[in-house]
Amino acid sequence: MTLLPLIALLAGFLLVYYHFAVPPGWADYVAIAILAGLDALIGAVRARLEGQFDEAVFISGFFVNMGLAILLAYLGDKLGVDLYLAVVVALGIRIFTNLGRIRGLFVHARLKAHRDRQTTPSH
Amino acid sequence: MRALWERGKSWIFPVSAVCLVLGALLGLQVHTQQQRGTTEVSRRSSALVGMLTNSQAQLELQAKEIERLRALVGKLEHKAMSEKGVTQRIYQELQNSRMAAGLLPVRGPGVELELKDSTMRKGESDLGAQDIYVIHDYDLIRVANELWAAGAEAVTLNGQRLVTGTAIRCSGPLIQVKNTTIPSPFIFHVIGNRENLMSALNMRGGALDELRWAKFQVRLTPQDSLVLPAIPIAPKYTYARPVLEETP
Repeated sequence: MTLLPLIALLAGFLLVYYHFAVPPGWADYVAIAILAGLDALIGAVRARLEGQFDEAVFISGFFVNMGLAILLAYLGDKLGVDLYLAVVVALGIRIFTNLGRIRGLFVHARLKAHRDRQTTPSH
Repeated sequence: MRALWERGKSWIFPVSAVCLVLGALLGLQVHTQQQRGTTEVSRRSSALVGMLTNSQAQLELQAKEIERLRALVGKLEHKAMSEKGVTQRIYQELQNSRMAAGLLPVRGPGVELELKDSTMRKGESDLGAQDIYVIHDYDLIRVANELWAAGAEAVTLNGQRLVTGTAIRCSGPLIQVKNTTIPSPFIFHVIGNRENLMSALNMRGGALDELRWAKFQVRLTPQDSLVLPAIPIAPKYTYARPVLEETP
């Protein structure tokens, strides 16, 4: 059951990979969308670990962030400014921050379990 | 830790749905990038070809404009000339100087000299590499030099006037005259005394003699009337200044 997201990821990839491609000019936007999606996903994992996961926030965040990121990149193209890079940097930083938090939570949980085992008197 | 993760299952379906979308996007992108990778080079070179043809067309247009303006100047000068005697003398001198500088198209008798790469191929004789059997910039320079020595008054190489400052050099498999690239065969049009030119070029031990010996295809024909074009752009002098005779 926990593997369902991974299976979904693989299924989505395989479904599209063999049949669809976008015009080369759009490739940058798809890349931005992927980054935004990845950010939302990792944010969700962190929220889940912190016990704050909310379905509505997650789903809306995923699609709205993706749309906004694409919009920003598109606007940058039109203005001749590389806003694309701003999006990449912002999302990249967020992804790393969230990954750092997730790692921290796991390490803490492990340490706590370890300490608990040591402090509990053996029978 | 497990408790932390497994608390309720409500997260698994939204995350799965999102993962499906994300996976689809990834597939899309990977596929697109693979296609892009194979066409990137051709896209770039076709863009460059477009730029090249564009600038070449522009160059041609500008050359035509120069020609038109030059004709206009000529007409105006002609008009001025018919007015007074002194102006006429100045005009004559101007025409002579222009002719010397290659700024005027010229007409006259002369010879046509065509040079083609050798018919020999590598290995047919023990002269050396394939390099020996193609015409090089220095061959053309040598021929041009001999033409001037034989009293040529005006020379073109594949339609490019040779004047002061016209460099002939090698540019990969082609040859550049000034800034124009020309391919083989190389054709000189020379205005001058035909007999002198023919005999000077055919001189034993001369440039043509050597080329013929290596089986280059050399064709030298006298011509009754040749018209040689002017150089497209007048030379500019940035450093050289005329030294005017000092009046005593």
